[in-house]
Amino acid sequence: MQDSANPAREEGAGLAQHFCSRALSFSRPRQVDLNLLVTFETTPVLVHVRDGRVTAAGVTSAPMPACDVALHASANAWSRFWQAVPAAGWHDIFALGKRGELSIRGNLQPLMAHLQFVKDLLACGRQARP
Amino acid sequence: MNASVEPIVGRYVSVDIAGQPCRVYFEEAGAGIPLVCLHTAGADSRQYRHMLCDTAITSRYRVIAFDLPWHGKSYPPEGWQDQEYRLTTAGYVETVMAFCHALGLERPALIGCSIGGRIVLQLAHQHSDYFRALIGVEAADHQQPWYDTSWLHRGDVHGGEVCAALVSGLVAPQSPSNYRHETLWQYMQGGPGVFRGDLYFYRADSDLRGRLDGIRTDLCPLYLLTGEYDFSCTPEDTLRTAASIPGAQVTIMRELGHFPMSENPQQFRGYVLPVLDAIARQ
Repeated sequence: MQDSANPAREEGAGLAQHFCSRALSFSRPRQVDLNLLVTFETTPVLVHVRDGRVTAAGVTSAPMPACDVALHASANAWSRFWQAVPAAGWHDIFALGKRGELSIRGNLQPLMAHLQFVKDLLACGRQARP
Repeated sequence: MNASVEPIVGRYVSVDIAGQPCRVYFEEAGAGIPLVCLHTAGADSRQYRHMLCDTAITSRYRVIAFDLPWHGKSYPPEGWQDQEYRLTTAGYVETVMAFCHALGLERPALIGCSIGGRIVLQLAHQHSDYFRALIGVEAADHQQPWYDTSWLHRGDVHGGEVCAALVSGLVAPQSPSNYRHETLWQYMQGGPGVFRGDLYFYRADSDLRGRLDGIRTDLCPLYLLTGEYDFSCTPEDTLRTAASIPGAQVTIMRELGHFPMSENPQQFRGYVLPVLDAIARQ
């Protein structure tokens, strides 16, 4: 079986790499410590946040990686979400969630306690406006 | 030195609501047809500051925006510390009518957004003989919940921050950053449990589906304006609602979200001015 036969999986892998490259420079001046698992189609990225700063972000191959919160969306959903000006209904993680395009699992307390931080982190892959 | 004083004047009116004296804060500007403005859940009358300073409006309208009790500069009624705040349909209607009567307003027009839009529908149902016209912004008879409101008031999550973070996605991406963050700041400043208490009305006590028959838009025109980026009260929700009200006039607004008058006043102006023109011509 060749993985390359699945364009969505390949796109997800590319989006994951893009996210990792952007996330590593993300920080906010607040006390945030959590581990996020963000999956792009089938590619999982584990993000470590300490003292409001992303200290590690990389594709993980570990089974059941330890995390506080896990978010999953298709490559198509992340691509639309990251448009410079996303279309209505694709512009926020809860908009994606409401339309069934994004799932959130795990302990929601750290997510909700630092919700704007996580939303801004997930949006860091967004294209710059022309 | 560069300074300017805005024409907005703030005052308090003491009025009995549900048998309790309430000291209600309101801001006003302009002269002409009274235009009462209702803010969204968990926010306050500052959302209307741009309309209050727009001479294209205040030259013809006396624009009046008030803070619901528990919101902004309106204290909760005495004894609030021993109760849980819950807005109800009946209580909301009573509050609006008590405020209008306290100010002696004759046939005012009224604009309300979000929960204010929902109550516009109820006012159209109950009081079309009193209002000159009604404008529901982000208004629908019902909408699907998209999060658990228990997150809005608990000890291990900052209430103001989570309220703001949740609604931040309801602001359209085109809205200017300064107005986006002004809008969110209000949510960060709300009293503990107040946003959740407002949403009791929104989610549990005001499902108006099938209950809006008999609205007389010939007596009191009803305008519904909804932003395309509002995924809480979606354009589809508003269109469905309007389809059940003969004569309701609907516009879906481009590049706007759930807080049009606050998040992008310039864009909203293009939609609300024609409505206000039509009301002034009535």
